[in-house]
Amino acid sequence: MIRTYRALFVAQIQAAAQYRVQSILWMLFSVMRPVIFLAAWVAVANAQGGQIGAYDTRDFAGYYVALALVTNLVFSWNAYDFEFEIRMGRLSPKLLRPLHPIHYAVVENLVWKMTTMIPLLLILGVVIVTFDARFRTTPMHLLLFVPSVLLAAALSFLGGWFLATTAFWTTRVHAVSTLWDRAVFIFAGQIAPLALLPGILKTISLALPFGYMLGVPTEILRGGVDVPTALALIGGQAFWVVVFYIAFVRLWRVGVRQYSAVGA
Amino acid sequence: MMHSRAPDNAVIMPGMTDAVVDVRELRKTFSVTEREEGLAATLRSFVKRHRKDVNAVAGITFRIEPGEVVGFLGPNGAGKTTTLKMLSGLLHPSAGEASVLGYVPWRRENAYLGRMTLLMGNRTQLVWDIPAADSFRVLQEIYRIPEGQFRSTVNELTELLELQELVHKPVRNLSLGERMKVEFAAGLIHSPSVAFLDEPTIGLDISMQVRIRRFVAEYNRRSGATILLTSHYMDDVVALCKRVIVIHRGTLLYDGPLADLAERMAPYKVITATLHDGAASSTDLDAYGTVVSREEGRVTLRVDRQLAPERTARLVNDLGSRLADISVEDPPIEEVIDRVFTSEQTTVSA
Repeated sequence: MIRTYRALFVAQIQAAAQYRVQSILWMLFSVMRPVIFLAAWVAVANAQGGQIGAYDTRDFAGYYVALALVTNLVFSWNAYDFEFEIRMGRLSPKLLRPLHPIHYAVVENLVWKMTTMIPLLLILGVVIVTFDARFRTTPMHLLLFVPSVLLAAALSFLGGWFLATTAFWTTRVHAVSTLWDRAVFIFAGQIAPLALLPGILKTISLALPFGYMLGVPTEILRGGVDVPTALALIGGQAFWVVVFYIAFVRLWRVGVRQYSAVGA
Repeated sequence: MMHSRAPDNAVIMPGMTDAVVDVRELRKTFSVTEREEGLAATLRSFVKRHRKDVNAVAGITFRIEPGEVVGFLGPNGAGKTTTLKMLSGLLHPSAGEASVLGYVPWRRENAYLGRMTLLMGNRTQLVWDIPAADSFRVLQEIYRIPEGQFRSTVNELTELLELQELVHKPVRNLSLGERMKVEFAAGLIHSPSVAFLDEPTIGLDISMQVRIRRFVAEYNRRSGATILLTSHYMDDVVALCKRVIVIHRGTLLYDGPLADLAERMAPYKVITATLHDGAASSTDLDAYGTVVSREEGRVTLRVDRQLAPERTARLVNDLGSRLADISVEDPPIEEVIDRVFTSEQTTVSA
C-alpha cells in the first residue's frame, strides 16, 4: 500500500502542478472568510471596550489565524467531486480496480494541502503581524494538536464521503453537501469561537460532529483550552470518527449494490 | 511477455463449469421514473412519481470457453453494456448467476479485479493531466505488477499499439484515436485473462479501427485471453469473432458461429451479375430472383438460399457472353443483423 500511495502521490503532484494557480486561488478563497470574520470581531470588540467574553482583539486574531490553518488542513471537497465522477462515468474505472476509490481522494486531498501550505503560511504571517495575534500555546498544546487535527481531517473527510455515498441513490448530492457546509459554517466555529456561541448553538456544535471538525483543533492550537479539556474534546473527535467510519463503510456496502453506473 | 495467469483462490460456484464466463438466467431490472410532458405533469411529479420497471437484461444464459473472442451484438438498448457491467462487477444483477474465472463478479474481490478488464470506447480511465506513462506506473502499483513483467508488458503494448510518441504527452493533448490506443494499454497493463470490450472502436477513423482490430486479434493470440466484444461496426465482429451472441430487448436471440448466422437468419443469397454491354437497366432478370438494385452494368438479385446454385447456373447459361462477372455471396452481415433485430424471432442456438 505504501508503494501505491507513493505512485499516487507522484501522479497527483504532477497533476496539481498543472493547476497551481487555481490551487492558490482556492487557498486564498478559503483564507478570506476567517480574515473577514477576524476583522468583524475586532471591530465589534473595539466597540465594546476591546473585550468580548474571554477574547480580546489579539485573541480573536490568534483564533482566526489558527482557524485558517486548521481549515486548510481539514477541508474536504470530495462530496462534490464524487457526484461529478458518478455523473461523468469516471467512478466506474476506479471501482473496477483492486483499490478502494477513497484512496485516490485521500491522496488528492493531501497533495492539495501540501501545495498550498507555504503560501498560506506566508499570508497568515502577515495577518499575525497586522493584527498582533496572541497564542497561548504550550508545547503540550502543540503535541495535542497533532492527533486533534488528524482526527478533524478524518472526520471531515469521512463525513464528506458519507454524504457523497448517497449519490449512489440520488446521483446528485450537491444540495445535501451545501446544507452540510452551511451547518459547518454555523456550528463548527467559523462565525464565532465555540465559546462565544449562544447557549443552544454551543450545545449543538459539541453534541453534533461539527464543532469537532474546526473549532476544537483551532482552540487547541491557539492554547484556548486547558489540557484536560483538550483531551476530552479529542475523545469526542475520536468518537465521531468511529461513528462516521462505521456509517460510511456500511452505506458504501449497500450503495455499490445500488450503483447503476449511469454515464459509464 | 503477456500471459494469462492461472486461477488462484477462485471460488467455483456449485453447478458451474470451468468455462471462463458462465452466465445463467442473468437478469437486470432498472426502476425508472416516468412522467408526461407539460407543466401540470411536472408539478405532479414533485408529489408523486410514477416508477416503471425496465428489464434491461431479461434472463440470458451463455458460456464462453478460455481463449474465445465472442462478439456480443444487439441494437442500442438491447442490454449488451448492462451485461458487460454485470460481468465486470460494476452492477449487481436482479436475478440469476454468473461466474467469471470462477469468481462472482459483483463481489468485486481484488483477486478477480486483478484478472479482468472492462474497456469502454467512450470513457477514459487515465489521469487527464499527466502523461500516460505516469498513469501506467500508478497502475503498476495498484495491480502489484513486478518490475520485470511491467517493463516487458509496456514494451510489448508500446510495440503493438505504436505508442512510442504518445505515452509521454499529457493525455488531454492526445487525439481521440491516440487516446483510445493508450486506454487499451492502460486497460491491459495487468495482463488480464478476461477482457470485456464495449465499443472499442467507436468514433475512430477507418485506419485506427483497423489498427485496434489487429491489436485485439494479436493480443488474443499472444496472451490467450478470453474476449467478449460489443460493437456496432460489423467489420470489428467479422475481423475478430468466430462466434457471436445476439441479444435484443434483453433476450438472447442467437448464440453460435458467425458463419452460420446468415444461413439461419437470412434464408437468401445475394447474386451480383455484371454485364459487358452495360445493359443491366434494360435486361429483365426478374425471373431469376428479386432484383434489389440496378446500377450501370450491374444487377443485384436476392435469391432463396436453396435455389441459389440453380439460378446462378441458369444466369450464366442464359446471359452467355454478355456476362462479364458474377458473384454469389451471403448478404452483408449488417443486413443479417438488421433482419434479426427487426424480426421477433425466438432464441436460436447453433
